[in-house]
Amino acid sequence: MRTTRKGGSYVLESSPFFKILSTPAIAILLLLLVVPLIIILSKAFIGSEGSLTLSRVITLLKSEYTWRVVRFTFLQAFISTVVSVLIALPGAYIIANYRFKGKRLIKAISVIPFVLPSILVVLGFVIFYGNSGLINQLLMKLFNLEEGPIKILYTFGAVILAHAFYNFPIALGLISSFWEQLPISYNHAAMTLGAKKGSVFRTVTLPRLIPPILSAATLIFLFCFSSFVILLVLGGGPKFTTMEVEIYRRARMSLDLEGAATFSLISIFLTLIIVAIYIWTQRLVAHQEEIELLNEKNLEKSLKTIWGKIGVALYTLFAAFFVLGPLGAIIYNSFTYTPSRSGQTVFTLRWYKQLFNIESTSSSMMGVALSAIILSLIIASVTTIVSLIFTTMLSAKLRNDKIKGSLATELFAMLPMAVSSVIIGLGYYLIASRLQLGNIGSRILVILAHVVIVSPFILRSILPEYRKVSFTYSQASFTLGANVARTFWLVELPLLRSALITGGAFAFAISLGEINATLVLADSSLVTIPIVMYRLIGSYNFAGAAALGSVLIVLCAIIFFLTELAKKRSN
Amino acid sequence: MGLVCSQIEVNYPEFKLSLDLKVAKGELVSIIGPSGCGKSTSLQLITGLIPTESGSIILNDKDITTTAVWERNIAMVFQDYALFPHLNVHQNVAYSLRFKKIKRKEIIERVNQMLSLVGLTGYGKRKINSLSGGERQRVALARAIASEPQLLLLDEPLSALDARMRKHLRQEIKNIHQATGITTLYVTHDQEEALTISDRVVVMQEGKIVQFDYPEVIYNKPASLFVAQFMGDGTLLPSSIIEEGQIELEEKDQLFFRPEKVVVQDDLTLPFADFKKSVVFEEVFVDSYQYTGDSYLIKCKYKNHTILARCPYKPKSEKVSLSVRVEDIILF
Repeated sequence: MRTTRKGGSYVLESSPFFKILSTPAIAILLLLLVVPLIIILSKAFIGSEGSLTLSRVITLLKSEYTWRVVRFTFLQAFISTVVSVLIALPGAYIIANYRFKGKRLIKAISVIPFVLPSILVVLGFVIFYGNSGLINQLLMKLFNLEEGPIKILYTFGAVILAHAFYNFPIALGLISSFWEQLPISYNHAAMTLGAKKGSVFRTVTLPRLIPPILSAATLIFLFCFSSFVILLVLGGGPKFTTMEVEIYRRARMSLDLEGAATFSLISIFLTLIIVAIYIWTQRLVAHQEEIELLNEKNLEKSLKTIWGKIGVALYTLFAAFFVLGPLGAIIYNSFTYTPSRSGQTVFTLRWYKQLFNIESTSSSMMGVALSAIILSLIIASVTTIVSLIFTTMLSAKLRNDKIKGSLATELFAMLPMAVSSVIIGLGYYLIASRLQLGNIGSRILVILAHVVIVSPFILRSILPEYRKVSFTYSQASFTLGANVARTFWLVELPLLRSALITGGAFAFAISLGEINATLVLADSSLVTIPIVMYRLIGSYNFAGAAALGSVLIVLCAIIFFLTELAKKRSN
Repeated sequence: MGLVCSQIEVNYPEFKLSLDLKVAKGELVSIIGPSGCGKSTSLQLITGLIPTESGSIILNDKDITTTAVWERNIAMVFQDYALFPHLNVHQNVAYSLRFKKIKRKEIIERVNQMLSLVGLTGYGKRKINSLSGGERQRVALARAIASEPQLLLLDEPLSALDARMRKHLRQEIKNIHQATGITTLYVTHDQEEALTISDRVVVMQEGKIVQFDYPEVIYNKPASLFVAQFMGDGTLLPSSIIEEGQIELEEKDQLFFRPEKVVVQDDLTLPFADFKKSVVFEEVFVDSYQYTGDSYLIKCKYKNHTILARCPYKPKSEKVSLSVRVEDIILF
């Protein structure tokens, strides 16, 4: 083993090919991230006379308002995390331990929120849970009520519910896949030593589940911590302001760019701590997995008791309702129209006609929807191609680096995770305001910001697959007369095909639904699908937003359908 | 000369490899030794997958010490075959031909020729993961020789297969070698394999070549006790155990002989029927025996020492006499 591995990487390491390949990728990706950060830093630390100053940071840290925002950010993230994990745990338990009919349904459903643009979540919630939303309408009809009984919108509860919707699948996926791998032999050993079922769970299973639970919880906390649009719309006011919302408000509403930059610093600092904790929990999981790998895995049982069956059925129903409800509401709403006079809902295609400029409309927002769809598709395509090229070049280099890295280098690699998309948007907004760019220039900036945002996601889908490609394939190719470059094209890249497709699909979907950075960065002339949706929601044209949202849903569905097709063909 | 490795050295923190080897053109030489002795490292040095620190490699009179791997024209069959999973059988075999200026038609012809050589005619369109272990091994072999290499290296190519398949395929490798005449180095850890397949055998120990000779010599005249014991079973006795003058000791004090050289006499009233000079052990007791199908391997006790003997039948009495020809005894 010792010698084989040495032989495997020597030729690759000593070849200039990967250096030539990766150096520009690293430089460009770094530049794309570092330049906006430096500009934010300079805004935060350089005073009006051009000298270095700490006064802004100090003033901000002294302000009671700042701490209220920070406290609220932590509080909402914490509660959202707890609720998400609690919703996920029963599901993880049944998926990992039992064999039942709805299992594939739950698994399929739980993938959906993962790839769903946040603006769709927002819209789905407004339409589904809103004061005159579908649930309330249903309840009003059922119980003959004057007004809807559920008044959750624009409250703290709405934010938590939306975050739970968005994030419980993360916990469900991570915990259940780990739980499935837990070897049953430990449980059997505990039983032969006299432990009853309850004690087996408490003393054997639970302690081993703590690492994945912690890891999932930290990741969810991180996402909720830097969540933006959900708070901006569903939170509905200054009462529920988090750091990201505050950065946006200062930058784009009160035009306090220095304040926004200073706030960004605090946000980056706090997020870095969370990312470090996340890396630590991931190591716990990896360590645990190493132990478990040695043993035989858990076997699924079939459900025996009637209560068990009811429980599983209820959870499946709940997951379907919870996830598909808001999505279904969007599609339903896009085909309906309720004239305010009669109050009678009628089915109509008018929103789609307006969307595609078949029917003229007084709403200027609906009028630009078609060009927004085209622009979104262009931005997403360019973003996908550019970031696929860069990340592949980067991972070719990282794969050959023998040392997997200390905490410091890992943290550096995770840096993009610590810089939220709002802050990236802010950085590029500051660049744009200096450069005085035209139409094309500002669109390029949006693409660059998107590249920075999606690259870490692609890297995480490509690099592990690349590391799995055995060095002997490359070695065999060398001995058959192919040099390093040819081997890269003919052997390594084709073996990565399916990872490249998955990464590309994610990049496309993320870029298509990206609103945080785009909203912070773009001027009013630059409209993408999520931006138009946001503005339509803001002007209470929910049906119009739903029609555009349905288009977005269909686009995402097409991408993932094509992905699966391409992956099947490559196998 | 086919391959000349002179004074090659590589140093690792806990391991040093030195290689001095001359292989004739067209010869099949196997390299054998315990795991960690440097067999695979030697192959990787010769291919160029590991850089040499000193010394030179000359292949068919051309110095290739610093030539890039892909320009050496040395093919290798890997232990795990390393067949490209994204290519089918035909594409795998044709892989090396893509880098040469050969017409499409000729490539197809050549691949078919290779596939028929390894007995896989008609397998071209198959996917790699649909092949059995033995079939994969053959494809790997076909891929390696398709490029008409000047040297073929095989790194424990049969170790992943079951015993029957191994026996079958090693004969096939030998046939293919005879048909193509490619100079071949064959790494294995199985002594039987090394002895049956090769023209000459290299025995390695802790990064050094300890003997390089014909299979018969390696087995019957091992250069050291390590080689003797590594290449097969045997009995080691102090020379003081036999009467003085029976053997010319040449200042050595250990006797070694193989179990099949021992004649077992279970009827003590009968003499040994041998005209050649022999050493006879009397008052020997059968301790235990193993039935191996073709014969019995018998473990005997003689004056607190253990003697291994092979006997075509099960001894009828517990007390036996043993005889070994003097010419079959190796001194250490």
